[in-house]
Amino acid sequence: MSSISRSLRRMRAIFIARNLEYLRDRASFGWNLVFPVMIVFALAIVFSGPPRALFVVTVIGTEALPEIVNFPGVETISDQQDKALDRLSRQQTDLVLKIVDGSVGYWVNGNSASGAILELLLKYTEDRPLQRGETDGEAIRYIDWAVPGILGMNMMYSALWGIGYVVVRYRQSGYLRRLKATPLTKFEFLSAQVLSRLLVTLTASVIVFVGTNLMLDYKMVGSIALLLLIALVGGLAMITLGLAIACRTESKEFADGLLNAITFPMLLLSGVWFSLDGSPEWVQVIAQVLPLTHVLEAARAVMLNDAGLADIALSLGFLGVFCAIGMSISIRLFRW
Amino acid sequence: MTDAILSISGLGKSYDDVIAVDGLDFEIFKGQCFGLLGPNGAGKSTTLGMLEGMEEPTRGSVHYLGKPFPVDYQDRVGIQFQATTLQDFLSPHDNLKLFSSFYDDPIPMDRLIEQFRLNDFLHRDVRRLSGGQRQRLLLALALAHNPEIVFLDEPTSGLDPRSRRDLWDMVSELKADGRTLILTTHYMEEAEVLCDELLILSHGKTLLQGAPKKLIKEAGVSDLDTLFLSLTGETLVKTQEVIE
Repeated sequence: MSSISRSLRRMRAIFIARNLEYLRDRASFGWNLVFPVMIVFALAIVFSGPPRALFVVTVIGTEALPEIVNFPGVETISDQQDKALDRLSRQQTDLVLKIVDGSVGYWVNGNSASGAILELLLKYTEDRPLQRGETDGEAIRYIDWAVPGILGMNMMYSALWGIGYVVVRYRQSGYLRRLKATPLTKFEFLSAQVLSRLLVTLTASVIVFVGTNLMLDYKMVGSIALLLLIALVGGLAMITLGLAIACRTESKEFADGLLNAITFPMLLLSGVWFSLDGSPEWVQVIAQVLPLTHVLEAARAVMLNDAGLADIALSLGFLGVFCAIGMSISIRLFRW
Repeated sequence: MTDAILSISGLGKSYDDVIAVDGLDFEIFKGQCFGLLGPNGAGKSTTLGMLEGMEEPTRGSVHYLGKPFPVDYQDRVGIQFQATTLQDFLSPHDNLKLFSSFYDDPIPMDRLIEQFRLNDFLHRDVRRLSGGQRQRLLLALALAHNPEIVFLDEPTSGLDPRSRRDLWDMVSELKADGRTLILTTHYMEEAEVLCDELLILSHGKTLLQGAPKKLIKEAGVSDLDTLFLSLTGETLVKTQEVIE
């Protein structure tokens, strides 16, 4: 028997044992499915009322802005032109303004009633020459925007705790020491853990995605295959992060604290619940080093904008590099 | 019993300023049941860890058949740790299957199940096993690959008298198979019943070595515990007390 087939046999055994442990732990298994569904429905109920009665104007630059931005009920944010127009096409903003050589350039979404009202107000109040631009695109409900965030958050918790916490528990209980006394190698053990958790994470994500979409019919205009690819690479990135945390940690309490310290910033800064558009630049810089940010950016681009592989290649590349670094650190530093 | 299967020379282990094992020299022969005896903190488990290949000595050496440990040493030894938690939600059957799959030529599961009388609780969650059932399962897992040397770290610690007797029977059967057994215990009666040779440790050093009956006879005492008490002024837990 070759060493590769021996290795595969041992990995398969650990993989099956971990899956059995997870599937028989009905409380954890159920929670992984029930929790995200509960959140999706809670948000659907909370945000099921009429849209907010507030106009949002996005300005490019800050000089000599029209009077309209100071009207009561008008919220003004600053952004770059491409991002602003992108938001306009999704009706996340109602009007985009840009001052060009003494004239006022503006864009509206042809499908937006709010945009039409603001355009009238602008024409009525502005003396300078106006240059009109138009985009189109349907409005995105909050639930459409939040669903990728919830799926990503569920993946993050499942991957980080399912690996990080469990491996530390194995170590603290002496189970890893028992495995060390067998021919099982670190690589075989870690690979089996990664594959087992990846299967669980992907399966749970697919079930939650299909189940909630059947009932809530949220927006999904892109490729399912690409979305699966994002879930695969994103799940791997989260799992390797969990492994890196667990590779030396000996206390469950410390692992719990460490996992919370890592998940909390991602929950806040990766755009799970709200967009970071318009937030300070340093916040956006921090967000860009968090794997969940790239998972959600790529997933939203596919689900809401029909993005192709080339559009999300940067995010996938980042996640791929993150996986490679996480796995090599874990194998190098892992202690039974 | 002529060939030393393990030769230990000048073996020592320190943790920072604490010397756990301090210069041990002894040999263990094929087919022997060798006991490491001593109170808590004597260095029994640390010594066992180094013989198992699980811990690196700070100084000295352990040789297997006269040479350093071979690459496949873990295939040749079976280890029952003092405290091992198995994966939650798995049954003895699942665990036997898992551990058997780590080896090329494991003992058939049916034989292990019969030998260690696991049938009554074969499909029960391991968290719901009694202490004795759990030790029998751990012993079966240690034997899954038919090892040449079996290490038992306080195998009957915390067991009730009946389970203790059961396990003694099983260890005796392993002895009868001709396996080399190395066990630690602080129960004197267990050492007298099971071991051919004893190494009595105190504070990481050898206090006495020899066959149990010979040690008792030469010291002119009634049992090992009295012998230990006369040597160190400390007492060990007598198995008899637990059994009664």
